[in-house]
This record gives sequence, structure tokens and C-alpha cells, in this order.
Amino acid sequence: MGEVNRAVALGRKLTKLAFALTLLALVTLLGALSGCREPPRGIVVWHPYRGAEQKALESVAQTFSSARGVTVTLLAVPYDAYAAKLEAAIPRDNGPDVFVSPHERLGSYLANHLVAPAGDAFPDVDVARYVPTAVDAVTERGIRYAVPLASKCAALYINTKLLDEAPATLDALARKKGTLGAGVFPLVYEAQTVYFHVPLLHAFGGRIFDGTSYAMVGPEAERAAEKARDLMATGIVPPEPSGDLVKQLFASGKAAAVISGPWLAGDLEGGVSYRVVPLPSVEGAGKMRPFLTVDGAFLTPQGSTSALARELARFLGAPESADVRRFVGKQDVATKSAWDKREGHAPTADDAVLEAFHNAASDAVPMPTSLAMRATWVPAEQALRKVVRGEGSARAAMEEGLARYLDVMRPLPAKRPSPAPLVSLLGLTLLAAAFYAVKRARHPGFARELRASKPAYKYVLHSALTLMVLVVLPLVAGAGTSFFAGTRDAPQFVGLTNYIEILTVRGRPLGQWLSHGSFYLTLLVTVLWTVVNVVAHVSLGLALGLLLAKPYLRLRALYRVLLILPWAVPSYVTALAWKGMFHRQFGAVNAILVALGAEPISWFAKFSTAFAANVATNVWLGFPFMMVVVMGALTSIPKDVLEAAEVDGATRSQAFRLVTLPLLKPTLLPAVVLGSVWTFNMFNVVFLVSGGEPDGSTDILVSEAYRWAFARNAQFGYAAAYAVIIFGLLALMSRALGQVGKDKSEAKS
Amino acid sequence: MSQALQEASGTDSASIKAAAPSTPSPASLQSSGRAAPRCSVRGVTKSFGDTSILKGVDLAIPDGSFAVLVGPSGCGKSTLLRLVAGLEEADAGTITLAGKDVTRLPPRDRDVAMVFQSYALYPHLTVRGNLEFGLELRKTPRAEIDKRVAEAASMLGLEPLLGRLPKQLSGGQRQRVAMGRAIVRRPTIFLFDEPLSNLDAALRAEVRVEIRRLHDRLKATTLYVTHDQVEAMTLADTLWVLNNGLVEQKGPPLEVYERPRTTFVATFLGSPRMTMLDGVIVREKGCFYAEGGGVRALLDDDRFGDSLVEGRNVRIGIRPHDLGLAKNGAPSVAELKVEIVEALGSEAFAHGWLRASGPSVVARLDADEARSVRPGSAIRVAVAPSRMHLFDPKTGLALGL
Ligand SMILES: Nc1ncnc2c1ncn2[C@@H]1O[C@H](COP(=O)(O)OP(=O)(O)O)[C@@H](O)[C@H]1O
Ligand SMILES: [Mg+2]
Repeated sequence: MGEVNRAVALGRKLTKLAFALTLLALVTLLGALSGCREPPRGIVVWHPYRGAEQKALESVAQTFSSARGVTVTLLAVPYDAYAAKLEAAIPRDNGPDVFVSPHERLGSYLANHLVAPAGDAFPDVDVARYVPTAVDAVTERGIRYAVPLASKCAALYINTKLLDEAPATLDALARKKGTLGAGVFPLVYEAQTVYFHVPLLHAFGGRIFDGTSYAMVGPEAERAAEKARDLMATGIVPPEPSGDLVKQLFASGKAAAVISGPWLAGDLEGGVSYRVVPLPSVEGAGKMRPFLTVDGAFLTPQGSTSALARELARFLGAPESADVRRFVGKQDVATKSAWDKREGHAPTADDAVLEAFHNAASDAVPMPTSLAMRATWVPAEQALRKVVRGEGSARAAMEEGLARYLDVMRPLPAKRPSPAPLVSLLGLTLLAAAFYAVKRARHPGFARELRASKPAYKYVLHSALTLMVLVVLPLVAGAGTSFFAGTRDAPQFVGLTNYIEILTVRGRPLGQWLSHGSFYLTLLVTVLWTVVNVVAHVSLGLALGLLLAKPYLRLRALYRVLLILPWAVPSYVTALAWKGMFHRQFGAVNAILVALGAEPISWFAKFSTAFAANVATNVWLGFPFMMVVVMGALTSIPKDVLEAAEVDGATRSQAFRLVTLPLLKPTLLPAVVLGSVWTFNMFNVVFLVSGGEPDGSTDILVSEAYRWAFARNAQFGYAAAYAVIIFGLLALMSRALGQVGKDKSEAKS
Repeated sequence: MSQALQEASGTDSASIKAAAPSTPSPASLQSSGRAAPRCSVRGVTKSFGDTSILKGVDLAIPDGSFAVLVGPSGCGKSTLLRLVAGLEEADAGTITLAGKDVTRLPPRDRDVAMVFQSYALYPHLTVRGNLEFGLELRKTPRAEIDKRVAEAASMLGLEPLLGRLPKQLSGGQRQRVAMGRAIVRRPTIFLFDEPLSNLDAALRAEVRVEIRRLHDRLKATTLYVTHDQVEAMTLADTLWVLNNGLVEQKGPPLEVYERPRTTFVATFLGSPRMTMLDGVIVREKGCFYAEGGGVRALLDDDRFGDSLVEGRNVRIGIRPHDLGLAKNGAPSVAELKVEIVEALGSEAFAHGWLRASGPSVVARLDADEARSVRPGSAIRVAVAPSRMHLFDPKTGLALGL
């Protein structure tokens, strides 16, 4: 009776709580909807600048504001969230009038209707004012979209102690190897990063993007990649250089020259004497030309209607503001007049670097702005890394890169499929469900049971509602999404096309069904991942659980807590910690290997080691669960049954195999099913530790689904189809595993 | 007291070693070819931490004999059994089975079978699986396994249950499976640890008889542990009474019952318990009497012999079954003020006092006599001189053995 009362009281409390939560959610929602505040009067400018650049921009805005008597509000928005904030604010007229942004985002801004043509902010007469490459950068199909403010590109830093003069060619620099002192590299740059590989590509006449599509294929691209590979293979460039390593080697005099951007200068504090020069040429090829990024002042659709905003944008590029931005903001400004020789100005070291970058920029290639350009980075980088690692021919790698790009940029099906098959399938399912329901309802016991359980419904109502909102609705919405393709703004119904494409590997011939990035290869990796992990979890959990059950073990309670600890730490924290431990240069694992006299391992350069790193992390995360399950199950095995086995003649291992294990099985089996599902979907570890490296080969189905949704042109429908397939596979797997346990115990009885 | 007991049992066990082969129990008579005991335990001690549980136990079980180890709960019976099985290791002493020293061997090398108090059936195996388990481990040929399982199953009536799991059996059925598991093994010795204590009273009596019947049929050497003196009396060829970590007395059950060596054995065996009264020996007209606590009883000169000294303090022991109405002019020994009459149908017990300050005393009545005895009345009771027990009040040892 007391039990019931308590349950009722609890039920009431929960109902109240659920009600309060719903109310809170509604209030928040209303607040968010009505949160469209009045924009402040005057002109609003957003920018991602900090430090000196921010100060210079503020000073220029101040000048304009006092001259024109209008308030100019500057808002510094962190660069990471810049695009998301713009996309969220501008369509609701809640954004800036003018914003400063790198030009290569123009394609996405246009696609999202976030910018308007510069119009009279950049009249024809102003064209001559700016460096031509900068003007090119902000021009799309003959229309100028922004006032160019400043450029950024890579150049060559040379250590003046090690090199007397700037090397004329890359090859001349390479030949310095051996003459520079022990452990000194002639050249250091992030050779596996496409941004820094691009100058080589350009030198050989290649391109990454031809204006409409991926273009890093063909003999030029191959030769450029082979050149990068040879530079590393011959020890001219160190393997796997990261930005940190570039800085570290140059600052410590271990690099005669490095390729980097203006940001490196700020990080080099004395210590090393250096000069900045344009990138050298390559013998037998052309000049190394880096990508150019131009910060421009863009007008939002709202801002473009205001004459004052347009005027401000134009003023930002004008000679007087360019001077401020150059001398205060230390920017490589795009306005020519700022670079005129002037009297009474003592050139400083900073100035020399700035001028050097300005000179380098004149030869740089503006980065393409097209939306499709963004999809080239990942395939290009994977192709490049493949060549550099020496896996297969450069041609195969380049072609694989193109294939990856085309996979991502598949055109929408030309012919819109009729929804009829899908609708009829849905109809049939509903019909079957209805038929089943009627059959159940006809059953004589049903009405009685229904009546008897009536009072129970109000107790489960809130949880049913919660489940509906939190689980069922997203599931249905997700499944629905999988029938669409295209971008978020223009979804197009494609029926089962997404599924067909996934399951037929986007129409490839059967022989290629296990090629990179195919559903089946990823499935294979996922299955391997699941099996290896679950086996490791269970055996480790079993071993430790058995060990902790030993009565003679001292400090048992302490060990138990210590061993459960990995479970208590949030998994992403653990995953990041392990990723750090597997770092090539600074990781604890390699430090231990080196201390033991072994060679350090590039953990994420090979599938086997990257997979092993993932498994190690996930085993660390997963074994405590199995251990706890085993410990619980062990306490339910009577001691005398084991003794009976001993008396019956069993050895320790026989008793374990023939008695303990079978008795653990009923408890262990559901745990294994759960563990398999968790592991199958263990996004955190795969995404955070290996991140799919190398080449996305360690990606499992969920992380692949994630990439389709968030890293490959936002193909949500395709990703949703992946998710539905994963769901189906897991449902099947749980059933099959459950059946395994049932069959055995049923057969025995 | 305990010092004296220890000495007593020391002499006791010394005599057992010498006596065991020469005074075989009825069962071992049938297979008396071998002189060495099938199972022997010599000077075994065992402590858990600081608590000494067994303080030097000696046992000798002849081939084919049914030995019952009896003692109060917690006296170390299970511990001793587990030592023989090899589930615990002895601190000192030796255990031999079929002539082989097994003291330090693991259970699997001892060839013993054990029926646990909780039965300890393998929950995941069917009855058949449970029976076969030990044989399969020993790599017994399939045909032999099937034969033995069929035999045991028919012997215990398990045939219809062979395909069932333990959780689908009743308590009695489980008990029989546990026995079957031991039987199929045909071990050197069967060990039973209170196998009937989880059964209800009626079933217990039934299975008790069945166990004895099985033993008579199989002639298997058995060590059976119980705290229940009825089981002990009915089953044993030889009874071993364990108390305080030592064997206090051993012998055929009736002999132990009739000639208990110590007050402990005397009171432990027999229900209702033996009445104990403090008294003194007096002499009158050439006859010795034990007098005290309201009793004055004639003693048998031949039986007690030299130990009868006038004026000696003794503890007088009388079993309720030996105390009855004084009939046909027989000399009464006491007058019992009846408090309750406990009628059991075939017989009855009269509970009452001899003296206002004395202990409660019980006398046995026939069913007819019981009708005439009313609570509150006083009855004259008598006991045969040969049924009197006398103990030394200091050492607790029986006189006249
Ligand atoms: N493993 C053990 N650890 C500590 N004490 C034990 C252990 N096993 C038995 N005992 C103690 O030894 C004594 C005798 O136990 P046991 O042999 O089971 O008695 P019983 O005669 O009732 O079968 C008891 O007091 C019990 O608490
Ligand atoms: Mg016991």
C-alpha cells in the first residue's frame, strides 16, 4: 500500500516537473522568437580582427563617423563562428550593414544571399586604386562584391645566418642540404597540407580548381605531388611537419627556410634573424605561386540600401584609411597608394617584412570563391598524402581524389522520381500494422487487459510523451530527410535514390564496391571495429572482474574505483587525451617508445596503427562497463557450485569454462548486445582520435554519415539515409545476438 | 573441563585405531577382506584466523562402512568434510584415502564425491548433464557414461526428469539428483553434508530410509555429516560424535546411545534429552544408591564396580525413556509433580518437578497410563538400575566403563 502511495506521489511530482519543463521550453521559444531586437541606429560593421588590425579598423571607423556625423558600431566576431553568425543574423535583418571577411567565402555568401554587389562603394574609377590581384579576388562574373582591404599569402622566410641570399630556385635551396650543419633542414613547410602544397602545384602548371570543378589531376598535378614526395624522401623537408613544428624548427635555427604566412612573423620573437622573400621557382617548371586571400568589406543586402553604408565601405579602402591600416594595423593593404615611397618615414624591420609580403602577393593566385571550391580541400589533401606516403602511383592517387570530389558533388538526379513506390510501401506497412492491431484487438483477452491496465496509462503518459518528442519524432524526421537530396535551402524529393546510391556505391561497377569511401568498405571497417572492441572489452572486463572477485586481493575497493574511473570521465575528454598521447612529436606513447629505444611511430599515417590507436582508446573507455557487469554476475554464482565442479574433477580452467562462463552468459549477453551497439556507433572516439585518418580509412558508418552531413557539401538526405541503414543494421544485429542466447537455453530445457 | 575432555578423547582415539579393524561394523563385515581403513584422518587440525576449529581429529572408516559424524552446529563438521574432499587444506595431520596420502592433493585427484547441503547442482545443465559432468571430465567412455547414468537414474527414479533443468525440480528431486551425481562417479568415498536439512520433515524421514537402502545396496564407503541425532542414530554403522573440535566418542550408534562416555554425548544423543541431577553415592544395607535432587536410585554393583565410593559426588543421568511409572511393587526412585502431559499417541511424556528448586524432569508413560495421569497430580516413578548413568561432576566422564 505504502509502495503504491509513494509511486502515486512520485508520479504526481514527475507530472508537475514535466509540466514545468514544458512551460520553460515554451517561454524560451517565445523569447527566442521575439528576440529580434531593434537594430541600433547608424551603421553596424562586423569583423573578425583582433589586436593591431582591430585597432586600425576602429580608428578608421572613428574618422568616418566624425566626418559624416553617423554612429558606426564595430563588432568583433570570433572567426570560428563568423559564417554561422552571418547566416543566422542577416536573413532576419539582424546582421551588420558591412562586414569584413576573406574573399573566398563569397561563393557561399552568394548562395545564402548574404551579400549584395558593392555598387557605388566600388565604382569603376576605383579599380586603379587597388592591386589588380585583389580586385580579381573580389570580382565574381564581372561583378565586384567587396572593397578589397588587405591580402594574405605565403612567402619564404629565410634564416639570414644560414643563407646569405635568397635562393633563386627550390632546387638551389635543396642542394644546400648537408652544408648547413647537423640536423638543419634546407626547407620546412607543411608539405601534407594542400594550402602549402598549392605553390608547387602552380609551379608545375597545375590547379586545384578550374572555376567549376576539381582540377588536381593530370601530369602537372602528378609531378607536383611527386616533387613533394621526393623533397621528403630525400630529407630536404622533414616528414609530417605541423604548423607548430615549422615555427619551432625555424625559431631554433634548424630550418634554413620555411614557407609560411605573415602570422609566423608575429610568433618569432628575436632569437632568429630572418628575411622574407617571394617563393622561389622550380627548375624545369615555373614559379611557386601561393594562394592569395583578400579581406574585403562586403555589403549585406540591408546595408547596400543605405548610401552611408556604401560610403563607409568605400572609405575603408580609400588611401587615408589604407595608410592607417598599413602602419597601425600592419596589414598588407590592397590600396596601391599606401606603398608609395614617402619621405620622413624610417623603415623598420616590421615594415620590411610587410613589404616583402606585399611583393609576394603580386604574384599570388587569388583563391577561387566558388562554393564547389570548398569541396576540393579534403579530396586533394587525401590524394596528396597518399602520394607523399608512397602508397601507389601518383596518377592513381590523383584520380582517386577526383573520384572522391565527384562523389561529394554528385548532381541531383535529373528526373524526379515519383513518390508513388514509397507511398505505396508506407501504405502497405500501415495496412499490415492496422491488420495486426485489429487481430490483437479481436483477441478475447485484449479488452479485459485493456480495461485492467487503464489506470496505468496516466502514470506512463509523461514518459511516453517525452519518448515521443525526444526519440520517435527525431527518428521519423530523420527517416523522412533520407528521401530528399540537395542543399538545406533547396531540398528535392528523390525517393529511395539515396539508399540506392549508397547500396550500389553510387553506380560503380561491382569490382569497385570495396574501393575507398564505399559503403561496403566502411561497413567492413565498422564490423571489424565492433568485433575487435567488443572482444577486447569482454575479455578485459572478464579478466579484471574475475581478478577483483578474488577475496585475497588487498585494496580491492581501491582497484575497483580506479578501474571504473575511465567510465566516469566524459568520453570526449578521454578521446582528446588519447589523441594527444598518440601525437607523433609530443605524444606520451612515442615518448615511451623512444625511451625504450624504438622508433617513434606516425600513428595516424597508416590504417593499422590509426585503427589500433582508436581501439586502444575505445577499449580504455569500454572495459569498465563489462567489468562491472561481470562483477555483478559473479556474485550471483553460488560458491558451492564451483566447489562441486572441483570435487567432480574439474581443473581451474575447466571449472571456469564449463561452469563460470555458462553461468555468466545470461548476464553477459545483453551487455554484449549493448556494447556492440555502442561500439558500432562510437562516433566520439573515431572522430576525435583518428578523425578517419589516414584517408578516411578508419571512418566507421556513423562518422561517415557525419561527414556527408557536415563536411561534404551538407548532403543531409544522404547522411540521413546512412543513419537509417545504420539503424536497420543495429536492429538486425540485436535480434540476431538475442536469438543466439535464447536458442541455447531453450534447447536445453 | 576442556582439558579433561581433550585427554579423554586422546585416549579414546588411541583405542579407536587399535580397535577399528578388530571390531568391524556390521556393514564392513560383509567386505572384511581388507584391514586398512578406506578413509583415515589422523591428527588433523584447522584454524580460521585465530579461531581453532579442529584440534586434532582422528577418524577411520572401514571399506563399505557408513560413518556418521554428528555434533552441534558450528562444531566443525562441514570443515572436516571439506578437508577430506580437498576444498580446504589441513593445517596439520594426514588424510589418506584408499591407502593414498591425499592431504595436499586438490579435490580432482582425490576421487571423492560430495553431496552438498544446498545440492550445488549446475544450474545451466539438465539433470542428465549434471549426472554426466564428472564422468565427462574424467574422459569416461560414452557407453559407460550412458550405462551409469541409466543405472543411477533408475535407482533414484530420475528417468522422467533427465531432460529438466534444476530450477524445474522440487527440493526432493534436486536432492536425489545431487545423490545421483555422486553415485555415477563410483568414488572412493561418498561425502554427505547434511543432505536432508533442506527438506520438510516427512520427506526427510523418507529419504533417510532411502539413503540407508542405497548404501546397503551399493556398499559404498560413506562419511555422512549431520547435526540431527535421529539421522545419526538411524543411518550409522559407526557414529563419531564431534564436539569442540575433537571426537568425543565413536562406536556403533546403540552402544554410544546406551553407554555415553561424557555428559556431552549423553545429553546430545536422545530426545527428549537425558535428565542430569547433582547427587552423591550412599550405601545402605550393602547396596549403593545414588541420591540427590529428589532421586534415590539403586545402582548396579557389577556395572560401576570400583567407582562406587560412599560419599562420592556424582552427576546422575536418567533418560526420560528409562523413567516410568513404578509398577508391580517395584521400588520407586522419586515422586514427580506433573505439570503437563505431552501425549504423542503411542506414548506420552510427563513433564514436572521432583523438587521445587530442581530442574524440569521428564518421564515416559504408556498411552494407557497417560490417561490416568492428570497435571497437578504426583506420580511415583522408577528406573531400572542397569539404566542408570553416573558421571564425574569435575571431568564429565562416565563412571563404570
Ligand atoms: N572459511 C571460513 N572462514 C572462517 N571461519 C569459518 C570458515 N568456514 C567455517 N568457519 C567457522 O568454522 C566453524 C565451523 O564451521 P562448520 O564446519 O561449517 O560447522 P558445522 O559443524 O555446523 O558444519 C564455524 O564457527 C564457522 O563460522
Ligand atoms: Mg555444516
